[in-house]
Amino acid sequence: MEQLTIVGKPVTRVDAEEKVTGEAVYGYDLVLPDMLYGKALFSPKPHARIKRINTEEAKQYPGVVAVITGKDAPWTHGESIKDKPFLAQDKVRYIGEPVAAVAAMDEDTAQAAVRLIEVEYEDLPAYFSPEEACKPGAIPIHENFASYRKFDFIVPGSMPNVCEHFKLRTGDVEKGFREADLVLEERYYVPVIQHAAIEPHSSHAQVDPESGRVTIWVANDAPFRALHEISEALGLSQEKIRFINPLQGGGFGSKGGLKVETIAVALAYHTKGKPVRVKFNREETFISTLTRHEAVIHIKSGVKQDGTLAARQMTLYWGAGAYAEKSPTVCIRGSLPAPGPYRIPHVRVDGYAAYTNKPVAGSFRGYGIPQGAWACEQHMDEIAKKLRMDPVELRLKNIFVDGDLAYWGEQLHSVGLKETLIKATQAIEWGKPPGFPASQLGGEEARRLKPNIKIGKGFACISKPTRTPTTSKAGVLVNSKGEITVLAGTVEIGQGCSTILSQVAAEELKVPLDKVRMAPLDTDMIPFDASTTSSRSTYHMGNAVRRAAIDAREKLMEMARPMLEAKNEELACSNGKVYLKDQPQMALPIGDVVRRKLGNDGIVRGDASYTYEIGKDLDLETGHSDHASAFYMYATQAAEVAVDEETGRVRILRMSAAHDVGKAINPLNCAAQIEGGLAMGIGSALHEEMVIDSQGKVRNPSFLDYHLVTSLDLPEMIPIIVECPEPEGPYGAKGLGEPGLAPTPAAIGNAVADAIGVRICDLPLNPERVYWAIQQKRAKGSSRWLTEVA
Amino acid sequence: MKIPVTLKVNGETYDLVIAPYRTLLDVLREELQLTGSKKGCDVGDCGACTVLLDGKPVNACLVLAATVQDSDILTIEGLAQNGKLHPLQEAFIKEGAVQCGFCIPGILMSLKALLDENPSPTGEEVKAAMAGNLCRCTGYSKMFKAVESATSGLGR
Repeated sequence: MEQLTIVGKPVTRVDAEEKVTGEAVYGYDLVLPDMLYGKALFSPKPHARIKRINTEEAKQYPGVVAVITGKDAPWTHGESIKDKPFLAQDKVRYIGEPVAAVAAMDEDTAQAAVRLIEVEYEDLPAYFSPEEACKPGAIPIHENFASYRKFDFIVPGSMPNVCEHFKLRTGDVEKGFREADLVLEERYYVPVIQHAAIEPHSSHAQVDPESGRVTIWVANDAPFRALHEISEALGLSQEKIRFINPLQGGGFGSKGGLKVETIAVALAYHTKGKPVRVKFNREETFISTLTRHEAVIHIKSGVKQDGTLAARQMTLYWGAGAYAEKSPTVCIRGSLPAPGPYRIPHVRVDGYAAYTNKPVAGSFRGYGIPQGAWACEQHMDEIAKKLRMDPVELRLKNIFVDGDLAYWGEQLHSVGLKETLIKATQAIEWGKPPGFPASQLGGEEARRLKPNIKIGKGFACISKPTRTPTTSKAGVLVNSKGEITVLAGTVEIGQGCSTILSQVAAEELKVPLDKVRMAPLDTDMIPFDASTTSSRSTYHMGNAVRRAAIDAREKLMEMARPMLEAKNEELACSNGKVYLKDQPQMALPIGDVVRRKLGNDGIVRGDASYTYEIGKDLDLETGHSDHASAFYMYATQAAEVAVDEETGRVRILRMSAAHDVGKAINPLNCAAQIEGGLAMGIGSALHEEMVIDSQGKVRNPSFLDYHLVTSLDLPEMIPIIVECPEPEGPYGAKGLGEPGLAPTPAAIGNAVADAIGVRICDLPLNPERVYWAIQQKRAKGSSRWLTEVA
Repeated sequence: MKIPVTLKVNGETYDLVIAPYRTLLDVLREELQLTGSKKGCDVGDCGACTVLLDGKPVNACLVLAATVQDSDILTIEGLAQNGKLHPLQEAFIKEGAVQCGFCIPGILMSLKALLDENPSPTGEEVKAAMAGNLCRCTGYSKMFKAVESATSGLGR
């Protein structure tokens, strides 16, 4: 391969300066001329029929421009299942569902008017556990489910409230269990958590009364998908809809789909052409945007005495919340690899995404992988314990390596998993006695005085697929000053795509990085991109930008040929110049090439589209596909923890995270992604939980009560980049954004079990749960601890 | 009812007429268009709106604008001086401490207050100074490094 000049270098971010000076304008900061202010009324009931809504008083309130209910916005939407109204229609399905909305001259007026809306409800029975919601006899949360429009691949099955039933069938698990020396069965639970991006959600919308054109300003992570969804919902052609993406203050999956957007659009139809801004405050963001799927997971394995896995059966109940949103695909792509990155001859998986009367679950960094890993990886350690085997040895015996046929029927290549396992465990000195510096516990003296502090080590492995097949398109413009503009629909959500894609364009056009800029994201101008999700951007958009830049470069060289009086001589490009390969002094700056051919205003444009062509959907009966994912991401994380047996407090002493990224286009950014993922994973392991009571009400909708990790909570983090190149990826790159938090809770769970000798099957590992697990072990000698799910 | 209020922000004096219940954060963002101070929670939990009042870090969402007319208010927009970035800003860029960036203005203001008071903080002091500022992207560690690099670059 040619020597790389910018790709692979730890260059600083192209968007950092505007962010450290406060100049960056985010969606939440955006002010439009003549803008009105919208607020919504949210359902106080988890499941109820709407008998009557009285908006008269609100309409009379001075300064109010419009008051609307579901009747004024008779549309439904949904990415995979069209089940969600813009505003509640006839019934409400969770506490926090938008029921009515007001547009007014200012936000205070809108909020005051919202309080004047009266709604009469008739309660219906409600479900707060996915396992309960799909038991025979449960009443449907969506009575008209059968008539909803759905994606072709949706298989609801026959159980009540199940919006997707994913099946994986490989071999014969019963036979595998019969042939096994050990059969172990367990149940794990992962609660609802939230993305909690520091920027809350907001959307602006405007409907042009003459043309009917709808413009939406929102920091959505998939503007083209959102555009398509709005278009289907409104029955409006796509040309009549425009999404403009202001900067996003973090998303982690929460800013996909349509939530606040639909309220803004519904209001904009009643404001005579004026734009409306709807901003959710933090509490509204907690109760009325998206959450991560809770999951009840049953896992059963058959293992040979030597540690070889013979069979694995898993049943996963994914809590979709009140509307399907991305639940079907979370269920599919989370359940598929849930049995772990291991060779297993007999596998049976049933994944059920079930409606409940909780807030809507959607995409969340990791897309189902953290939940499966929480069960699978702790289960692996339990197996190791029963077999008296080192957990690393058990993994090495079964772990995916190059050439393996995965249990979903795909032959794997570029598998860097083993290297991640070895490096992550080495980094915490696996196999050696607890090697933490005593100072971390307050010195030797403190340690001697605290026999209640127990130390343990653990790790967990994952593999993660990406959305497949999908398309990214890109344009690359070169002007007469030699400046490059990249047109790419990837959204800068903080992950660093603007830097990565700029590096790719700079690499291929052989210009310094400061000559490249990213065009703002506006669906009227920018070519199509599937989404900024699934860790797909570096690979897909990286390929598209690379090809578009090569297209532009080739056009420039063709233009330069007569200018350099070249006939058959080979041309080359470097340092922003085109030159004759054998006579490098015969050179022209690329800007000059553009100017001489097209004038001062000339622009040379390269275009490209990338699709992983051979990607195939999973077979609906077996869950098999020979190309289920464009690439796979592999990771192992390892933790050393100290548990205080008197208080139940878990402290992480150090934690390593080894990730196979294929090729690090920017090692600095890769380390930043790994550290950030790890921190989020640690929060979800130790304290994050949306506490939803027996009436379906979120009891901790604030940062005071929903605990994110702070600067005081984190251990020494050891990010490790493993590069096992993906031949089809740009420069060998895979993806990285999502896996950062996927194995984290399981790694910590294994370390905690190692420390205290009791397995805790529910998250989070907060002091209360850990304390009671220790107490139960002391009282009953039990080595398992499981709390009941609501 | 509205009242006249005079605020001194980043060295400039602003005469405003505002409702007495409006917070400093809303006035900065909506009246002065200084949107660098971010609104992440509006109840004092996240720290994204941190500004300096006479050098002390406060959550601007918890301060009524009318009560700070005698104070010097410094916001993120006033951190760079004469077009030159503050060493903390330089270091945040260099060390890769910025991701989505939404928390960054608040964190920089908290750290500026720390360094003004204590130019060579220990790691623990840095962590404590940032404990009221939530970041969801970075895991903070590159920020700690950035402070180290900024303080060593300040000529000590």
